[in-house]
Amino acid sequence: MTPELDDVLAVTEDVWTALLGETAPLVPRGVPAGTPFDATGAWSAATTVSGGWPGVVTVELDETVARQLTARMLDLPADATGDGDIADAVGELVNMVGGNIKSLMPGPSVLSLPSVAAGRAAFASDVVEACRLDLLWQGAPLRVSVHVPA
Amino acid sequence: MRAMIIDDSRAMRSILRRIVSNLDFETTEAEHGQAALDLLQAGDVPDLCLVDWNMPVMDGYTFITQVRANPAWRDITLMMVTTESEQRQIVRALAAGAHEYVIKPFTPDAIVDKLALLGLLPEGHEVPA
Amino acid sequence: MTAPSAFASVSALVRKETSMVYDEGKEYLVEARLTPLATARGLGLEQYVARLAFDADERRKVVDALTINETSWFRDHSPYQAFTDVMLPSLLEQRALTRRLRIWSAACSSGQEAYSIAMLLDQHLPAGWSHEIVATDISTAMLDRVRNGRYSQVEVNRGLPATSLVRYFTRVGREWEIAERLRERVRVQHLNLAAPYVGLGTFDVIWLRNVLIYFDAATKADILRRMLPMLAPDGYLLLGSSETTLDLPPDLAAAWQREQIGRVPAYRRAPAMSLTSTGA
Repeated sequence: MTPELDDVLAVTEDVWTALLGETAPLVPRGVPAGTPFDATGAWSAATTVSGGWPGVVTVELDETVARQLTARMLDLPADATGDGDIADAVGELVNMVGGNIKSLMPGPSVLSLPSVAAGRAAFASDVVEACRLDLLWQGAPLRVSVHVPA
Repeated sequence: MRAMIIDDSRAMRSILRRIVSNLDFETTEAEHGQAALDLLQAGDVPDLCLVDWNMPVMDGYTFITQVRANPAWRDITLMMVTTESEQRQIVRALAAGAHEYVIKPFTPDAIVDKLALLGLLPEGHEVPA
Repeated sequence: MTAPSAFASVSALVRKETSMVYDEGKEYLVEARLTPLATARGLGLEQYVARLAFDADERRKVVDALTINETSWFRDHSPYQAFTDVMLPSLLEQRALTRRLRIWSAACSSGQEAYSIAMLLDQHLPAGWSHEIVATDISTAMLDRVRNGRYSQVEVNRGLPATSLVRYFTRVGREWEIAERLRERVRVQHLNLAAPYVGLGTFDVIWLRNVLIYFDAATKADILRRMLPMLAPDGYLLLGSSETTLDLPPDLAAAWQREQIGRVPAYRRAPAMSLTSTGA
């Protein structure tokens, strides 16, 4: 069982609008299947769902997107955000996206605390990509993906 | 009025702090349920707790059951603010003693609306249109 | 930005079809709501507006898009408090023989007002009583939404007590669906408030909130004049928190008696009405 792409998009847009307002929309981005997230500087965060539906929800963000999101959440100027701030904000982002995806799947399930990394996400060899959403925000890329056990 | 914001994310605490500070609440913060209980036990008892669910050390659900087990804290209004959004989770939290429940993501108006329902909007603050 | 002529023609269209007034200064709203429609047809905003003159389907969509009100559950809170604490107990006494209440949610938009009332009546109406809530709107898209009774997570997060969410709603995918037993109490009907009120009957409480602000003074007065016979002699009319009967012609202002209930002004038919309307 995998989440619908429409649902993942709607959840992501709801989170985005709540955190950033309706200033700039998320725009779909065509990326060939199998292409790793290609931002030059990237942040990634993942949360694991276990129980009725097992899966991993991952968000990868271009550094500039991560920084602006963090600045907005912490109410700081973008150039005043440190790595610790970004890790915290990006972790909360994946928590919101992951929790809402969990609620659309069969339960009951438990959501793990987020894990965050500077750089692209690394995926375990025992999961496969079930669903992937590539988007642009103000010209910079972000990706939401869902992996399920192989 | 005083609010305690309990969430493991500093960014989320910052968002919530700005919303309730605008309503003239004084705020304290804790990064998980146990830290919040420690503050309560030290005598720092607020009017309102905004409580995340998934946190390290002690989650928000356990925190709520602990607060409700102590009659000295019965005047505290408990509002869950969490990404947990299954119906059964909301039912569980209410049964454990939460007064209100806001699903993340939320807009500031959603928090203000709920505080109005709880009768916690200070004089001079209108319910948002 | 919208060209002034495009704005003027949209504004004239909405006025003709609904009597609602979009003044200059509302350009941003028109632009925000019409851009998605134009994009859906692969047109720029001005091209799209030019097309409206000969495309009735698109005209209907524009009217729908421009007449949607922002709304939340138990909006402003205090009118619902006044309804439960004062109006309802009084009506229960007055209607002890018929044991029936009729409520009108005029300009119901996506239905949060009608269903908020339905929830209160579910909780406070004694056994053996029946009630009907009539929800009317000019937008057919909104009426479909009321019929479906499904709301997004963002919508149920606004002003709806969590106890009511779990009691009256069921999660269906990303949306929350209101209980069948509340949906069957709400009758949906298409109605332009500026046109005649036909086949509605009379009501014990009329909720006419946050819609008069969209009409010009003459239409507003006309609506409030035609609301008089729609309300039971001992019924209540509720307006939005920024709306009053103060700026009406003197005879009409006198026909509506303001009664403060808690923090809410309710309007009631002045007793003199029965004198002026005899012989009709």
